[in-house]
Amino acid sequence: MAKRDIPEINAGSMADIAFLLLLFFLVTTTMDKDQAYVRSIPKKIEIPPEDLPDVQKRNILAIKANSQNQLMVRNVVFSDPDMISDFILRFYQTSEIENKPEENFPLYSTATKGLCDLRMTEMDAKIAEADRVGAADLSNFFSSAYDEWDKKKKAIQLYGKSELREIDKQAHIRIEVQEGTAYSIFTQIHNEIEEAVIELRNKKCKELFSEPYTLVKQRYNQDADARDKEILDLIEILYPARIVEVTPKN
Amino acid sequence: MSKFRKVEERSAPAMNTASLPDIVFMLLFFFMVATTSKETDPTVKYTSPEGTRTEDLTPYKQRSEIDFLYLGTPRNPNRASAFKFGYALSLDNVVQATSDGLYSTNAVSRWKRDKFDQKPARMIAPIESVITCVKADQSAPTGLIFDIRKQLQDIDALTIAYSVKDKGINSKDTE
Repeated sequence: MAKRDIPEINAGSMADIAFLLLLFFLVTTTMDKDQAYVRSIPKKIEIPPEDLPDVQKRNILAIKANSQNQLMVRNVVFSDPDMISDFILRFYQTSEIENKPEENFPLYSTATKGLCDLRMTEMDAKIAEADRVGAADLSNFFSSAYDEWDKKKKAIQLYGKSELREIDKQAHIRIEVQEGTAYSIFTQIHNEIEEAVIELRNKKCKELFSEPYTLVKQRYNQDADARDKEILDLIEILYPARIVEVTPKN
Repeated sequence: MSKFRKVEERSAPAMNTASLPDIVFMLLFFFMVATTSKETDPTVKYTSPEGTRTEDLTPYKQRSEIDFLYLGTPRNPNRASAFKFGYALSLDNVVQATSDGLYSTNAVSRWKRDKFDQKPARMIAPIESVITCVKADQSAPTGLIFDIRKQLQDIDALTIAYSVKDKGINSKDTE
């Protein structure tokens, strides 16, 4: 058979195909990002514990909102919601450098490496004791406490100082809304908390690692780096955000 | 005297469009990379409230560690009276038929369980850390949010996200 030239394929419709694909992606996708406040829900407790420890008044920052969408912080009406974040800053910072018991804000305690070691050996003994008796729940509880102290010890190492001042364990922000409170008021309260906490964390993180907390967190969310995790742990121990959302009563 | 050459009558040469597909493909790839696919259009109407200092959920979406539910007014305003406070819940485009449907049959927890079971096998996140993102209308009563929250608590789905529209102030930190 005679050799023939292979005819060139007409690529004129290539552009049409590409346009078709382009339009498909334009229609089915969206540019805007989903933004939200991520919160964790406490685990359900089957049997309510009987003797709950009393929480000191100074450790509670109650933010209330009623169904008329009026806000109240520590029983003081706040007409300007933007002021709440300033109040939260005061809640954290009043006793940060040195304890001021005369103010109605949470006190700080000092944690050292030695204390962490002591608590860890204590927990070790308790885990062994619980395992011996065969109480799995108790053993789990103590090992999570052990992990907590271990985390704290690592945080102090990263912090580079011999001790670490941390806010009272019981210090928390409590959100009390009513059933009829608008969702926008609810998110606004979360916004104010986030504003205050992130401001504190960013400042500290910049001071220690010369980059803001939000950036480290964003990077950690993308590629889960171990070093970033340590930084986040330290900053979150320094400024913990303990938020309690109280279920409204009917 | 100089002589002008007579302008010849000739047609404009055809433009070479060989690089057009390349340009379009470039655009195509840009959009494929820069956008995320839309989740289903919700069957309820809602307007998100605004907020700052929010967390970006894109990484969770890429790992499909997030489910969305919508709380808004029904498209047909006459049906609003059928729902508690006039707000309907939309789960995967299914509007809950009656307000009681949400509470008596634990629609949210069943939906979340199903969603979790359908996740790809390579996903290792436990149900506690799979986010449930609530996209609610700005004037939706918070009582309903807490109803949803309670149902999630019942099945140990312990991470919730309250969706807002970002006002864009927090971008200054990332510079």
